[in-house]
Amino acid sequence: MQRRSIVQVMGIDAGGTMTDTFFVREDGRFVVGKAQSNPADESHAIYHSSRDALAHWGRTVDDVYPELVTCVYSGTAMLNRILARKGLPVGLICNKGFEQIHAMGRALQSYLGYALEDRIHLNTHRYDEPLVPVSRTRGVTERTDVQGEIVIPLREDEVRQATRELLEAGAQAIVICLLQSHKNPRSEQQARDIVLDELQQAHARLPVFASVDYYPSRKESHRMNTTILEAYGAEPSRQTLKQVSDLFSKYGARFDLRVMATHGGTISWKAKELARTIVSGPIGGVIGAKLLGEYLGDDNIACSDIGGTSFDVALITKGNFAIKSDPDMARLVLSLPLVAMDSVGAGAGSFVRLDPYSKAIKLGPDSAGYRVGTCWPESGLDTVSVSDCHVVLGYLNPDNFLGGAIKLDVARARKHIKAQIADPLGLSVEDAAAGVIELLDLTLSEYLRANISAKGYNPAEFTCFSYGGAGPVHTYGYTGGVGFKDVVVPAWAAGFSAFGCACADFEYRYDKSVDLGVAQHASAAEKVAACQTLQEAWSDLALKVIDEFVLNGYQPEDVLLIPGFKMQYMGQLNDLEIVSPVTWASTAEHWDRMVEAFETTYGRVYATAARSPELGFSITAAILRGTVITQKPALPEDPDAGPVPPAAACLGTRPFYRHKKWSEATLWSMEGLKAGNHIIGPAIIESDATTFVVPDGFATRLDKHRLFHLSQLQ
Amino acid sequence: MSAYTNEQISHLVDGTLDWDTTFRMLSMPKDQQRFVQYLAALQEKVSFPDRIILPLGPHLYIVQSCQDKRWVTQCDCGHVFGDYRENWKLNAMIHVRDSPEAMAEVYPPLMAPDTQWQVYREYYCPQCATMHDVEAPTPWYPVIHDFEPDIETFYQQWLQIPLPERAN
Repeated sequence: MQRRSIVQVMGIDAGGTMTDTFFVREDGRFVVGKAQSNPADESHAIYHSSRDALAHWGRTVDDVYPELVTCVYSGTAMLNRILARKGLPVGLICNKGFEQIHAMGRALQSYLGYALEDRIHLNTHRYDEPLVPVSRTRGVTERTDVQGEIVIPLREDEVRQATRELLEAGAQAIVICLLQSHKNPRSEQQARDIVLDELQQAHARLPVFASVDYYPSRKESHRMNTTILEAYGAEPSRQTLKQVSDLFSKYGARFDLRVMATHGGTISWKAKELARTIVSGPIGGVIGAKLLGEYLGDDNIACSDIGGTSFDVALITKGNFAIKSDPDMARLVLSLPLVAMDSVGAGAGSFVRLDPYSKAIKLGPDSAGYRVGTCWPESGLDTVSVSDCHVVLGYLNPDNFLGGAIKLDVARARKHIKAQIADPLGLSVEDAAAGVIELLDLTLSEYLRANISAKGYNPAEFTCFSYGGAGPVHTYGYTGGVGFKDVVVPAWAAGFSAFGCACADFEYRYDKSVDLGVAQHASAAEKVAACQTLQEAWSDLALKVIDEFVLNGYQPEDVLLIPGFKMQYMGQLNDLEIVSPVTWASTAEHWDRMVEAFETTYGRVYATAARSPELGFSITAAILRGTVITQKPALPEDPDAGPVPPAAACLGTRPFYRHKKWSEATLWSMEGLKAGNHIIGPAIIESDATTFVVPDGFATRLDKHRLFHLSQLQ
Repeated sequence: MSAYTNEQISHLVDGTLDWDTTFRMLSMPKDQQRFVQYLAALQEKVSFPDRIILPLGPHLYIVQSCQDKRWVTQCDCGHVFGDYRENWKLNAMIHVRDSPEAMAEVYPPLMAPDTQWQVYREYYCPQCATMHDVEAPTPWYPVIHDFEPDIETFYQQWLQIPLPERAN
């Protein structure tokens, strides 16, 4: 019997409706499993999904879990908990007079996540319910000014009183966030200790979250929101993750469960700052693309993820993705490092409507989501979606949608397109549907192009990765004409985010605001002083990072520390994140090297001529990342089977409509194709979870890593 | 363009429509059927038999009298304020707040306007005492005629629906 290859890596993507698992063997082969999500007990869904995946290899959970070396979880449970306002009842202690600040929120929170039309339409603006009601907020007398000077010392008795009142009001966690605490943590730490002492006297075991211990960054609303999020959303998630971890232990697993975090690394479920795992799915894709890029030797990558509701774009330049430090999530401004991504609300499930006055076709912003479109009779929908147009034009197989899990009704979709789009426009159903697809393709390709050129880059230097469940259907449409160096569609496009999560480093990242300003020709003494302040911040952060790894059984010497900083020209508004060229900052020469690294990056991101050293340099934040070595999934390596695809992979033909004519597209089974195979359009390559469309004028080649390369024929 | 059920429109009138649907209504072009559905929902809620032509406020309507087909302004309770082209306020009970004491009833100390400059005129139904409107003019200003709708154009040209019969 052939020796079985060991299953090493597992990725979990626990979404709102489906829980995907992704297993990778030592030889790079992978399987994807799916199961219905179970928000009450996620470990259940993960178990079923794993069973589904491993059945492809004829293996069971009992014998695979103990083999696994690494497992990364990503999920939407925390995000959903925040959106549904089902978190822990939190009590908040802030400065007296500022009790309403959290409830009022920032004005922009009333329209975050809206499409442009709605952002400028004031009637739609709406404030969500605050995470902590004013009734569980107490102000205490204290004031630290912007320079970090304590102007009014903290009044201890007020803190004690507030603690007792919050306990009485039913708080199950206490968050402390005082003004300017990132600048001078003393009052807040003092408040924290008093609260802890008071809780002890009351024999109450409540977690206490002081913002300085978690997110010591400037911007008061951001810091307060993030600290509250940690108590409100992340504490309950810890319970969920414990359940999942216990499930693995029960089946003999020996790895430590890790969770995908917003900064693009993974952290342990035991990590202190768990709020940063709030969004992880889309980030997985970017990490996966970065790893694939390293294999292929591409260091400039445009990552494009098209799902049912949105189109997400992220750029990897010189092998690095950008990090945004004050992103918004769940309509809250936060101070968490997040892999920078841009989204537009148009996807494969977007609804299609005609403007009753101008007769213009409008896509989205809402979408059919899991209900697909009117082509699925059980959906209960009667508004046309983009998927309906795909079904009518032969892009999608009505009998094999999601591997045949649901049957689509082409006649029903035709009827709705005719009544809602084609007839009012005086077009045939095919032309109306094709018009919708063209509009979507154009919207996406313009968006993609704008995202690259607006940042000063040339698409010809980029490889475009296209993934997500619906990505490969549209790849030709939004990449054609943009002029990418190469266009890559992984055969596992639908499970790409889960794959990406499994590729991520075990990495903690901590940020701390600092305020340093040094003139261009400053004296050596000034540079040394600046280095000292930065080094102090790094040393503080290093303690936190190492603590996290020690918690997971690593030795401090196993941890690779990567210091970084954010620098800007003094007086400019945007800072750049720089990986420090020095690991220890103490001398004027160190400072000069850091400045040089900043200016090089600045010249690359903007223009060399735009550099303005005469303004002097500011450092706004110290960053410290720490990683340890982990097992990453291997890519499959297949022998070249030549350009001619095996006859067995051919599934026949299907009529396919594009450019005002029907043609017969050859159907291929994605699994049946071999490395080296060359396919010329019109062709449709199908697999259970993904449909890859190669229209007339395009060709694709499958490489040894099971990546499709799409090219436009001249 | 979306279509909505009569039930959803009824919730809209009551202010109990879920936010997602409300948001969609706000951000999409207005659906053609909405006004007719809206009138039907209002008609369901009022106790009088007269046909609603146009709502003027939460409890005030222009209606077609079921007896003589005259168009009049009418309260929820059925009280008639007169011909729909006339200013209904002239037939309402009016309470004027023009002293600091009267203002103190509705405002915290020091927050009220100076009644030398601004007064409040509250208009009530003489039959059921529903407050229909509040004006905040300078003391000498005449009663404001808020709205003189061109119902014919609205029905026939904007909505393209038949105009109900009118006897006056």
